[in-house]
Amino acid sequence: MQYPEPISKLIDSFMKLPGIGPKTAVRLAFFVLNMKEETVLDFAKALVNAKRNLSYCSICGHITDEDPCYLCKDERRDRSIICVVQDPKDVIAMEKMKEYNGLYHVLHGAISPMDGIGPEDINIPDLLKRLQNDEIQEVILATNPNIEGEATAMYISRLLKPTGIKITRIAHGLPVGGDLEYADEVTLSKALEGRREI
Amino acid sequence: MYLKEFSLKNYRNYESLHVQFENKVNVIIGENAQGKTNMMEGIYVLAMAKSHRTSNDKELIQWEKEYAKIEGRIEKQNRFSTVELIISNKGKKAKLNHLEQKKLSEYVGHVNVIMFAPEDLNLVKGSPQIRRRFINMEIGQVSPVYLHQLNKYQKIIQQRNHYLKLLQTRKQKDEKMLDVLTLQLCETASNIIKKRYLFVKQLEKWAQPIHSSISRGMEELRIQYKPSVDVSEEADLSKIVEVYYDRFAKIREKEIERGTTLAGPHRDDLIFYVNGRDVQTFGSQGQQRTTALSLKLAEIDLIHEEIGDYPVLLLDDVLSELDDFRQSHLLNAIQGKVQTFVTTTSVDGIDHKTLKEAAIYRVSSGQLI
Repeated sequence: MQYPEPISKLIDSFMKLPGIGPKTAVRLAFFVLNMKEETVLDFAKALVNAKRNLSYCSICGHITDEDPCYLCKDERRDRSIICVVQDPKDVIAMEKMKEYNGLYHVLHGAISPMDGIGPEDINIPDLLKRLQNDEIQEVILATNPNIEGEATAMYISRLLKPTGIKITRIAHGLPVGGDLEYADEVTLSKALEGRREI
Repeated sequence: MYLKEFSLKNYRNYESLHVQFENKVNVIIGENAQGKTNMMEGIYVLAMAKSHRTSNDKELIQWEKEYAKIEGRIEKQNRFSTVELIISNKGKKAKLNHLEQKKLSEYVGHVNVIMFAPEDLNLVKGSPQIRRRFINMEIGQVSPVYLHQLNKYQKIIQQRNHYLKLLQTRKQKDEKMLDVLTLQLCETASNIIKKRYLFVKQLEKWAQPIHSSISRGMEELRIQYKPSVDVSEEADLSKIVEVYYDRFAKIREKEIERGTTLAGPHRDDLIFYVNGRDVQTFGSQGQQRTTALSLKLAEIDLIHEEIGDYPVLLLDDVLSELDDFRQSHLLNAIQGKVQTFVTTTSVDGIDHKTLKEAAIYRVSSGQLI
């Protein structure tokens, strides 16, 4: 049997979200029907506002409701270091740590020719522009430790080499607080490769 | 190591099978198309979580059934453990001692098997692809890190080929990215090549005396790993990377023109020499067979050296392919130390002590009789 148009449209909309298949979409749509009207309105408003009022910071590319973003504006932060990450979510993760006090640069992806993402498709030009400023002394490459992330880090490091700025790559190995026995072989072999004298 | 109990459910032509095996030679007798090879394949899949005959796991599930299940009880260094593999449309699930293993790579390697089927006689005269597959499967059994490197290498090749195609069609002009992908490729390749060199050296060490004794001391076998870019066996990782990187710089234009990666471990080969002559080109049928047999027997010793236990040997229809002398050599080599499964249509005509003491099983249309 067919759903009336309004609800089938709603189901279709839910299905556009990641991780939601047809069954979950139907459940969510029927749940919405039973919600109070004002809750539904708030929900709809939140969706629209998130889209409308958030944009990308013109300096670092992080998501923000004001331009430049609160991180770029913050005078207390160390302006001589930039940490390059793939995703705005990575910035949030780094900030949770509360140990890093430098600036960020969000690439919005990693180079992956297979997925049609070339060096010109990620936010590298803005990074180069920022580096013309003499203040910057170190660039930390914090892209993901997979093939694409590594390639992206290597590519950027080659681009930046002529500038003479110090370029570093975050380490990989064992998670802190974890048990050695639960680490997989590949992580372990990486950790062993990166061992250091104490 | 040996397989004590074995069961199949909805697997190929076996609806349900439960059998106890013995830690010696187990002979499986049956007419053609009754399920001898399927049983061998089942043991192989239980160990390797994939078939040697097909890459499509769905073929393993019986017609119109939801799933197939293989179970085994293994003795390894005086301790028993159970292994279980469930194959369904959704994928594979592996259990070790009733605990589900999240990664198949953590499961593979618990049971070690060596399969010797008529196709393996092609190892020497067939295409380089067969030999690379042989190397990869064997190193993979004892080194999970190698499997990871191989996997990574495949992905980098795909990325690099895509990028070369973009350069070829001039949709992309930035060759710096190609440098990066090339360096990534060389680094992974160097690890793979180094492991393969080591493996081939070990293999040669074990295969030489075996070959010499099968050929009654008349032939000397040498095995050489031949990488697509010349690099010496003693070279360390950074030297290999350097040599490969230089090579890629030389063939860059050609690669862009062709839009594909033209060198690397995916184009390497093994060469077998008997008395100094390349067996693939100059060897007789008999010499090629002897070489294939020596390699397989050498693997038994190699795995024993690596893991301290003998693997399970699966001989699928090969006895009939070998002459009397090679047959008895094979049977002597396994006597008393390796649990072996042999399939054959009949035991008549094979006059060997090992087979006379063997446990006999008869299969007919997917059942033991």
